[in-house]
Amino acid sequence: MGMQAFLQKVLLLELWQGMWVTLKNQFRPHITVEYPRETVEFAPRFRGVPRLRKDPQTGEELCISCLLCEAICPTECISIVAEKRPDGKGKQLVSFTINYERCCFCGLCVDPCPTKPITAIYMSHDYEFAGYDRDAYVATREELVDGKPVKIYTR
Amino acid sequence: MFRTEMMDINMGPQHPSTHGVLRLKLVLDGETVNDTDVLIGYLHRGVEKLCETKNYHMIEPYTDRLDYVAAMYENLGYVETVEKLMGITVPERAEYIRVLTAELQRIASHLVWLGTHALDIGAMTVFFYCFREREIILDLFEAFCGARLTYNAYRIGGLPWDIPPGWIDRVRHFVKIFPGRQKEYETLLTKNRIWLGRTKGVGILKSEDAIDFGVTGPCLRASGVDYDIRRAHPYSVYDRFLFDIPTGENCDTYDRYLVRMEEMRQSLRILQQALDHLPAGGVMAKVPKRIKPPVGEVYHTVEGPRGELGFYIVSQGDDKPYRMRFRSPSFVNLQALPHMVKGALVADVVAVIGTLDIVLGDVDR
Repeated sequence: MGMQAFLQKVLLLELWQGMWVTLKNQFRPHITVEYPRETVEFAPRFRGVPRLRKDPQTGEELCISCLLCEAICPTECISIVAEKRPDGKGKQLVSFTINYERCCFCGLCVDPCPTKPITAIYMSHDYEFAGYDRDAYVATREELVDGKPVKIYTR
Repeated sequence: MFRTEMMDINMGPQHPSTHGVLRLKLVLDGETVNDTDVLIGYLHRGVEKLCETKNYHMIEPYTDRLDYVAAMYENLGYVETVEKLMGITVPERAEYIRVLTAELQRIASHLVWLGTHALDIGAMTVFFYCFREREIILDLFEAFCGARLTYNAYRIGGLPWDIPPGWIDRVRHFVKIFPGRQKEYETLLTKNRIWLGRTKGVGILKSEDAIDFGVTGPCLRASGVDYDIRRAHPYSVYDRFLFDIPTGENCDTYDRYLVRMEEMRQSLRILQQALDHLPAGGVMAKVPKRIKPPVGEVYHTVEGPRGELGFYIVSQGDDKPYRMRFRSPSFVNLQALPHMVKGALVADVVAVIGTLDIVLGDVDR
């Protein structure tokens, strides 16, 4: 055994080397997020649950019941019932439901939406929609605009 | 008085290192694998049949769910196949952005492979390091298309959106920091004695066998065959980039590790070139609202992170495909598994599954 190898054994150099790596990693910035207490920031294009939007100025519903989103939905989760307006111009919504159980968050429904300048249907940033039963996942027209009320679990 | 007999052992479908719902029936002679029966179909969803009932726009989200680790490539292959069938020329900027996202996806996919492969063999730290860098790429994808796993990022004829502001700088930053991070993995693995012992000489796949089995991708290149679709049949704008195709010599698990590591470096090279030459302009070609390709059939392949990813579409002039067929690399590569593990130990089966880099969503479709 040479002098160097002897010193390495006596002074536990390799052990200290390993501990140095451990120590260095103690001071690296955290990359994980403690989820329920803090949440990550989303990109503006993040695709959460699809929602309906009202005109921000007039407060009227933007949807013109063109059925294009229903037609392009690959999972057939959107169902729209529309009727003729009483004044004979165009159609108006009777019901608009999205079944979130089926929705695959592809965002294809937003592409063909013809309302300008903002689309009536949009991908919101909401993502927490755990429910207690299947009915909780069928969002009606009002819930699609205001957001489905979330039951908070309390102990 | 004493006699020995072969023993059938089921590995999977819930085994943690089969990377999904893969079931292997191993015929064991003690600890040695004598024969392997690969049983698949636990994740079969009938996507090919399902596609016949959907129009061309609707199919893209379904392709996301085939190879969910590299969904960008499934999107790319699908939209390019339809574009080839219809004869659509995609704007150059869209092509470059497609290359950018696709090469980022290759790195992300190889990081998942490296992390899980090392985890299977017993090196846990690599897994956390790999997923740290994958997170950066997923954040980039989230900023680009809004999703982190099932992107649905391209449209037939181009892209639905241009890249968001500041995205290029973020990719540049990633290209800058990634070589250092990759060095970190290499210090953990490349000369690690346990890693060498578990991968060298394990799962040997000779080049002629690899060709016979139809194996493609890094597994084929590690067997010494210089075949890469980006070079052999250039698609998109790949003919404009300089990159090397790494090949292996020893045809074993360790060479496949080296090949994939080098592929990540080559992806960075392509990224750098694409970033430097990103043209300005629109990202969407003029495409009719209802996609109705002419009567005919088309086969198109892209080089996915796992190998040759092919799409075959038969069109009868309708807005729905008459027949849709996916040539998924995981499925074809999995064929070589019984050959590769014959005579090996049970622990080597884990290493070979890891090195083939299968995704069960891609195998079963």
